[in-house]
Amino acid sequence: MAFLDISSVSKAFGTLSVLDDVNLSIDRGEFVVFVGPSGCGKSTLLRMISGLETVSSGTISIEGEIVNEVEPALRGTAMVFQSYALYPHMTTFQNVSFGLRMAHRPREVIAKKVQQAAAILRLDKLLERKPAQLSGGQKQRVAIGRAIVREPRVFLFDEPLSNLDAELRVQMRAELMDLHKRLGTTMIYVTHDQVEAMTLADKMVVMNGGRVQQVGKPLEIYDDPDNRFVAGFVGSPKMNFLPAYAIDASSEGVRIGGIGGQAETVLPLFVPGLTGKVEFGLRPEHLSPLLGDAPQPEGGLLLEGKVKLVEELGAESFVHMDLVDGTRVTVRAGRDAAVTGGTFRASVDVRRALLFARDGQRVRGPSGSRK
Amino acid sequence: MTSQSLRRIPVWSLAKWGLALMIAAIALFPIWWMINVVFALPGEPVSINPRLWPTSIPAGIEKIHLIFTETDYLRAYGISLLYAAFTIAGVLLIGSLAAFEFALFEFPGRSLLFGIVMLSLMVPTAVTIIPTYLLTSQLGWLNTMRGLVVPGLASAFGLFMLVQFMRAIPKDMIEAARLDGASHIQIYRHVALPLCRNALVTLAILTFMQTWGNYMWPLIIGTKPEMYTVGQVVGLFNSPLSHQTVDMVMTANLLAAIPPLLFFLIFQRKIVEGIAMSGTKG
Amino acid sequence: MSLRRYLPHYVMIAPFMILFAVFFLYPIVSGLYYSFHAWNGVKPPEYVGLANYQKILLSREFSTAMRNLLTYVAITVPLGILVALGLALLVDSFTGRWANFFRNAYFMPVVLPAFLAATIWRWIYAPNFGLLNMMLGWFGAPSVNFLNDTGTMLYALIAVDVWVSAGFNMVIILAGLKNIPVELYEAARLDGANKWQQIVHITIPMLGPVLFFVVTYGLISAMQVFDKPWLLTGSSFTSYGGRRNALLFPVMDMMGRAFGSVRFGEAAAYGFLLTVAIVVLTAVMFGLRRWRGWA
Repeated sequence: MAFLDISSVSKAFGTLSVLDDVNLSIDRGEFVVFVGPSGCGKSTLLRMISGLETVSSGTISIEGEIVNEVEPALRGTAMVFQSYALYPHMTTFQNVSFGLRMAHRPREVIAKKVQQAAAILRLDKLLERKPAQLSGGQKQRVAIGRAIVREPRVFLFDEPLSNLDAELRVQMRAELMDLHKRLGTTMIYVTHDQVEAMTLADKMVVMNGGRVQQVGKPLEIYDDPDNRFVAGFVGSPKMNFLPAYAIDASSEGVRIGGIGGQAETVLPLFVPGLTGKVEFGLRPEHLSPLLGDAPQPEGGLLLEGKVKLVEELGAESFVHMDLVDGTRVTVRAGRDAAVTGGTFRASVDVRRALLFARDGQRVRGPSGSRK
Repeated sequence: MTSQSLRRIPVWSLAKWGLALMIAAIALFPIWWMINVVFALPGEPVSINPRLWPTSIPAGIEKIHLIFTETDYLRAYGISLLYAAFTIAGVLLIGSLAAFEFALFEFPGRSLLFGIVMLSLMVPTAVTIIPTYLLTSQLGWLNTMRGLVVPGLASAFGLFMLVQFMRAIPKDMIEAARLDGASHIQIYRHVALPLCRNALVTLAILTFMQTWGNYMWPLIIGTKPEMYTVGQVVGLFNSPLSHQTVDMVMTANLLAAIPPLLFFLIFQRKIVEGIAMSGTKG
Repeated sequence: MSLRRYLPHYVMIAPFMILFAVFFLYPIVSGLYYSFHAWNGVKPPEYVGLANYQKILLSREFSTAMRNLLTYVAITVPLGILVALGLALLVDSFTGRWANFFRNAYFMPVVLPAFLAATIWRWIYAPNFGLLNMMLGWFGAPSVNFLNDTGTMLYALIAVDVWVSAGFNMVIILAGLKNIPVELYEAARLDGANKWQQIVHITIPMLGPVLFFVVTYGLISAMQVFDKPWLLTGSSFTSYGGRRNALLFPVMDMMGRAFGSVRFGEAAAYGFLLTVAIVVLTAVMFGLRRWRGWA
């Protein structure tokens, strides 16, 4: 049995279904990130774990105990809110110790626990300040401090970094990872930012439309997405999707034609009977620019289009081109690839290309592997 | 630029200042005059002392001393203060408990109940005063402090004002407290109340003003002289049948004015904001 | 389960809701009941149908009170609000300390208990040695018995009323003025509007909702005027309304019927009649607001 089990959980507000049959198990000590666009139900799921939201059907259990009906305060969870939710009329010390004081814990215990949390979060010098006198990052740390003193079994973070500026966000991300390493406590983190999810997560849970789309390690999800949504959501710039059709499938693989309106290739996948419309997924880094009159690699796939935009980011640049059928394709290029306009050619690493069926599901070989 | 503004100042600006000062005089003079009458030797003819400024401080003190010792004014003063204090405590406590729920939580019947209470703000006092008096009398509460205070405790205006304030408390903060294990009452006591302290102070002041100045309700509830409030005594002193001298009457008037004026001088910003809020957000 | 979950909420609102039901809702219902009964508070109520209403509507006091009320409301509400608007604009044209001083000075009469405003003015209006007559004397004018001359009584009341209510309404209008974005005036100035045009075309329209509140609230409270005329005329439950009932108003009439003549059923009916009038007037105001499209 996993540490935290979410089994067939659904949530509806009236007739509006927000979460639909969510199944998820989380191991002790994991850093789990729920990621998805706004409205995908990730925050609701987090709030259901905390107990702030009731479960419409299904069960949530922590360490084998079903907690559906357990009071939020008694679940052994602690939450850090996006708005920090610090009490403006209390000092840092009073904010951090609020829960302990409400439970009438002895004064020495409170002082000791707050001191410990303050040491971990470097809040020692801020204990007498009120939230209005703290910076954004400091408020964030106080909010975490308030969670730490509760010594929870699970930390819950609801988009905790989205009110911070970009630089501070990167810094706080590192602090959070460090905190997780030192405390070793299970953490569940909700964000809409896939970069944040990729950098923080041991286990990443991609959600959309109230359903879990895929669960896995960040790189697994990046390399081996289960469906078109996950493939498109994870990674920046986004994966290119090229309309195509499957001509026939044999033991050699699937022959795909009409890629971007023109190209044709064979994918080493064994999917007998696949025909009709499909989509061809390519990450920008799996396309290599062919500069000048460089010859086309043997047996490879070549895409050719008109350059519409070049984004130069310093270390690399991205070329956006339109294929004959109007599909926009992004290609990652080195900075020495001086592209200005006109036509542009890129060769495709076919072994890295992904195939999606018309319903958006990934088309894999029988072994399910991509190699 | 300076020369231009200098040339333009006198015409407009002088007229404006003149007007503003004149109106201030009209607004303040009756109060000022009341003070002058009290602090003047009794019996001086108006032709000799037109009471345009205080002329005898000891005479005023003597009159205040006299009114407290020779009449029942002191008791009325005490009754009025108690009436105000109990009403403030009750309105604040009962109102904030209800406002906490109406502003921050969802429960079946919430909008309906709140809607009914808000609708009552539209109902004129004229229609309720007689039946409320009859009920109070049936309860045997005539001439009691209960009778003065209790019927006025469910203040719809107070509830409205506190709900407006409490709505501004972020839901996250309430949830954080809940996760911290605070009980419902603890959230009310330690989170909601401190966060709407300003509104509570403003409501307390407005309730004081309203209670202290309430004339009609004490007039019909407190019919025995032992239960007279300041308003009733002042009314009696000023009535055509009164046998009090002008000096006594004015002293009574002045003393009745002092608590609210004092409150206003201390809390002027809160009072003005409270009234402005009830008008602009209503 | 769900009752247990919601129970704390109901417990917390219970004190308010119970008091509200007992001392507000119940009286309205019982008042309606009494209004169809003759009752002196001692003998059991006796059903009389619409007789109470009929009696009131046919009584001379009712028509006097209503006539007084209409004149009073028609003058005091517009006048009070015009003065308040003028005061607000005046105060708004000052800044800092002086703006505060004038605002507080004009507001001071509001702070006084209403009963006190009436009693102070009684002395100002007093014949011979009253302040006003003293000032008239300086100009050689004859003494006027303001509160006993049916020609001046109503206007004496209106003066007191404006003296008190102007400050109250001014504060609300001032808050409304502060809510008008400065950019609107700046844009108007760039468009070449002068001060007066700015007031007419920006200030007044932008104050629409606030003025609506002030007028509606002013109307509702003016219709229930009681303390000031009661005290100005030195009324008691046995004798009220002043000379020839020149300052008799509906609420005074109602209170007199209840506590002077001890006819509670009639007084309850009076309350409902007055409420109907107020509700109709309020409805008209809200109708006007919708028609004019104020927020």
